[in-house]
Amino acid sequence: MIAELLFAVFFGLLLLGIHRKVIARIQRRPGPPVWQEILHMLKFSFKTTWIPKTASAALFVGVVLVAIGIWSAALFVVISGGSLLVIFAIYMLHKIVEHGFGLSSGSPYGKFGGVRSVISAASEIPLLVSVAAIAIFTHSLLISDIVSYQEVHGPLLITIPLAAIAMYVVLISKMPFGPFSIVESKELVSGYKTEHFGVWRAGLEVCNGLKTYVLLLTFILVFIGSLPFWLTLLTMLILVITLSFVCALSPMLSPYDSVTVQTLLAGLMLVYVGVLGVMS
Amino acid sequence: MKKKNALALTLVAAGSGVAAMALSMASILPGWAYAAVLVLAFPLFVLGLGLYWMAREGEEDIPFLGY
Repeated sequence: MIAELLFAVFFGLLLLGIHRKVIARIQRRPGPPVWQEILHMLKFSFKTTWIPKTASAALFVGVVLVAIGIWSAALFVVISGGSLLVIFAIYMLHKIVEHGFGLSSGSPYGKFGGVRSVISAASEIPLLVSVAAIAIFTHSLLISDIVSYQEVHGPLLITIPLAAIAMYVVLISKMPFGPFSIVESKELVSGYKTEHFGVWRAGLEVCNGLKTYVLLLTFILVFIGSLPFWLTLLTMLILVITLSFVCALSPMLSPYDSVTVQTLLAGLMLVYVGVLGVMS
Repeated sequence: MKKKNALALTLVAAGSGVAAMALSMASILPGWAYAAVLVLAFPLFVLGLGLYWMAREGEEDIPFLGY
């Protein structure tokens, strides 16, 4: 498990680096090297670190520990074939963690980032809807059961493509530089993580690597099924490249528009799941 | 945090993870308990290692509070 944990951190960060590189190439910039996010994590861990005077020290440090802890737990749940509802719960918990990040420092930029994180909770509704659509077909929310179902009936990506799109929207909302990245938009400096520098930011980078790996792995297991390890990594890479195209070719929405678009998508998905429920 | 405290934190966290792995491989510790130890120890290890590498003791900063 230690090996899986370390691999997930570094591969997740590598994927985020590839994400930045692809966006840069689409915008005709050279872009950073693909391992830039790994270097970021190392760089931050070597920077001078302290806690701002205005911060709530326990919360300021505690949220970093919680952020890494919850995504480590999420990784173990996914690789052990645990419940999709736990992943959903951890995703929601991450929103609270982002809020804690923002409020803990006493900085207005952080606070605005934290508040935006809460209002962008609309992105969770498509995730809940895709979970409901999966449950209608598989009659189970255990990832191991969902994988077994797909071995018999084929990938859920083909059976319920709109649910896969809903989950894909969730992935977009979690990728940096995306249309829904309102919590980190530049008018807020770095949003909720503005005041978390040095070791604290290095911890947050570890969390980001884990989160990216876990969400992509969950998407693959739930909508495509169990693949050989190398093919899983290749599929993750392809998914990230498609996400990079979406992020590079779409403007960052204003907070109001972001929530409106996500709520409309969630509404459409609710209708879809309603129809699926009636037909099944 | 003093460097020696950060080092102690790092070693305790790493030691817990490795001990849990060894106990799990010997079938003494169930898999879920091994995972639980890692969930607690890994964040402490990351922060402890970073603090050991570079932490300095000094005056805190006051973040920008607006005009």
